[in-house]
Amino acid sequence: MPNAVDVAELREALLRAGYVADAGLATALACAVTLERAVLLEGDAGVGKTDAARALASVFGAQLFRLQCYEGLDLAAAAYDWNYGKQLLAIRAAEAAHERTPDLYADDFLIRRPLLAALGAPRERGIVLLIDEIDRADDEFEAFLLEFLADYALSIPERGTIAAAHPPIVVLTSNRTRDLHDALKRRCFYHWIGHPAVEREIEIIRMHLPGVAPALAADVARGAAALRARELRKPPGIAESLDWAQTLQILGAGRLDADVFEPSLGSVLKYPEDVEAARAAARDIVAAARGERTA
Amino acid sequence: MIDEATLAGGFERALRAHGVDAGTRRAATFAETLRRLPPAGMREVYWRARASMLPSIDEVDAFHAAFLEFFGALDDAEALRRLVQGVEPPARREAGEAPKRESVPPRPSEREAGERVAQRAPTQLVLAAVDERLADRAFDELNDAERAAMLRLMRRVRIAAERRASRRRRVASHGDRFDFRATLRGAARTAGELVRRRATRRRTRLRPVVFLLDVSGSMASYARALLQYARVTAQARPAVRAFAFATALTDLTPLLRRASDERLMAALGEAVRDWGGGTRIGAALRAFNDRYAQRGAARGGTVVILSDGWERDDPALLAREMARLRLLARRIVWVNPHRRHPAYEPLVRGMAAALPYLDAFLSGHSLRTLEAVADAIEGREG
Repeated sequence: MPNAVDVAELREALLRAGYVADAGLATALACAVTLERAVLLEGDAGVGKTDAARALASVFGAQLFRLQCYEGLDLAAAAYDWNYGKQLLAIRAAEAAHERTPDLYADDFLIRRPLLAALGAPRERGIVLLIDEIDRADDEFEAFLLEFLADYALSIPERGTIAAAHPPIVVLTSNRTRDLHDALKRRCFYHWIGHPAVEREIEIIRMHLPGVAPALAADVARGAAALRARELRKPPGIAESLDWAQTLQILGAGRLDADVFEPSLGSVLKYPEDVEAARAAARDIVAAARGERTA
Repeated sequence: MIDEATLAGGFERALRAHGVDAGTRRAATFAETLRRLPPAGMREVYWRARASMLPSIDEVDAFHAAFLEFFGALDDAEALRRLVQGVEPPARREAGEAPKRESVPPRPSEREAGERVAQRAPTQLVLAAVDERLADRAFDELNDAERAAMLRLMRRVRIAAERRASRRRRVASHGDRFDFRATLRGAARTAGELVRRRATRRRTRLRPVVFLLDVSGSMASYARALLQYARVTAQARPAVRAFAFATALTDLTPLLRRASDERLMAALGEAVRDWGGGTRIGAALRAFNDRYAQRGAARGGTVVILSDGWERDDPALLAREMARLRLLARRIVWVNPHRRHPAYEPLVRGMAAALPYLDAFLSGHSLRTLEAVADAIEGREG
């Protein structure tokens, strides 16, 4: 068993890698890495689920393999495939040279997709495997993943079982477009990433956009919180707050005020109904963003 | 100090007592976590417990109750309460993201709703003569014994199961896509000659069906019957969901397949209790759209709404949410038992607001008319 990962140290290291994690997320990640078990991160779109995996890879100096899920995702796209063109040529070449047919299932002909590639870590914690938006895959893939996560091995009919010498760090993310099977969830540590508290969001904005004035960063964080408190179809995530802050910076704003609020709304809200609702309440939201009074 | 396994096992039982089914595998994980990463202080115990024992954010309230009860007995209960309250509250309102895949919404038909809602002849329902009299009785006219018999008969109503092409493929002799892998594997046996062509074809999947059941006032007995139909359907095929609503929306899906009849009907009864005169159909639909439909629960499928259309709120909200649902679902079927009366006209404001968005408008008040509902779910003109 590899060394335990200290929660506080991991949190520090993530911060150095440019990712602000709260105690809960840092704990879930530390547990997953220590116990060599997968971690499932759930949350609304744009709260930083994928970035958490990226930061984790950078903390451990690990290679990151990302598998984007979709309906119909099969082994040929997720795990491995054979290079058919090359196989065919090898057969023809051997025939022309009057040699025996070569081994068509040697390493040369094997195409390693993310799941198989993730088994080839050269050292402990050398690979982070990000299985992104697992809720978009179908039941068949989930069932397959269950086996994969149980012993970090893949069986290829032509080759036998390939097992990992060093299991990868596995991060699954879900937007909850559907419920995952409990059998899969039971095998994972779990953390729900909520929208960040205002202080944490200020920290995130300033870390990603060092050029943004502190006062503007605070305005954007409070403004995003005020927007999330409203009934919107798509409340802004961190990605939208960052876009917003950057847009305001480009507009030359030092603070968020009524003049720049409306023109910049397109960067933070993605539905016309939401923009309309925010415009109608512009005065309250701007005031809340400037910390003058609550919306 | 008690050992980790005992602690984890005890907490697992405490969770179970609060209705959270974490299971022994999670308890074992929790014990191992405590062993490998010894917590310093209750705050760290809390987060380790949450990462390993909480199945879903939906159950966080029950989790907190169990945590306070179990660890409160071992530690300073007041300090724990402050700790749990200090935990950043999760964003509970779940507005989903925009639909991303296969989003060519079915166009609402140009025909008038009244025209589209064609009269449907019930398809054959195989019933013994003794059951025959039950088949046409309205669900709210049955006595208890008849209702029990009706629930049994429900199994004979045809299950709605419409298929669509999946993105998954399977080997087929006359498939439409060349299968390199299988063809080459065959070629290796025939000295590299591609003798037999192999191909794959798309599999099919069942389209989702969602039942939204109004449990207010006179609808309760119909909701019970339709919920039973949803249950029979869910036991026979995947991708069936059911919700009850009066003023709030309750997800009954987790109970649909496995819970006992009593437990399922009790859950429906709970939903009825939330009814305080007047139904908020628009608000319930909005909750469904935000939390489920927009995330894909109804995409490519049929939504069956049971309601008499008595809307307490502004029907404009109902119309707006119906328009949204129209874009998210493939088909919308409205079941209103009052429609069985020949003189019925959709004069109730809520019903009138919803009508333009419907693909089918049926009575569904008896076993026999449920057959027409099954047809409508599949988009067949009965």
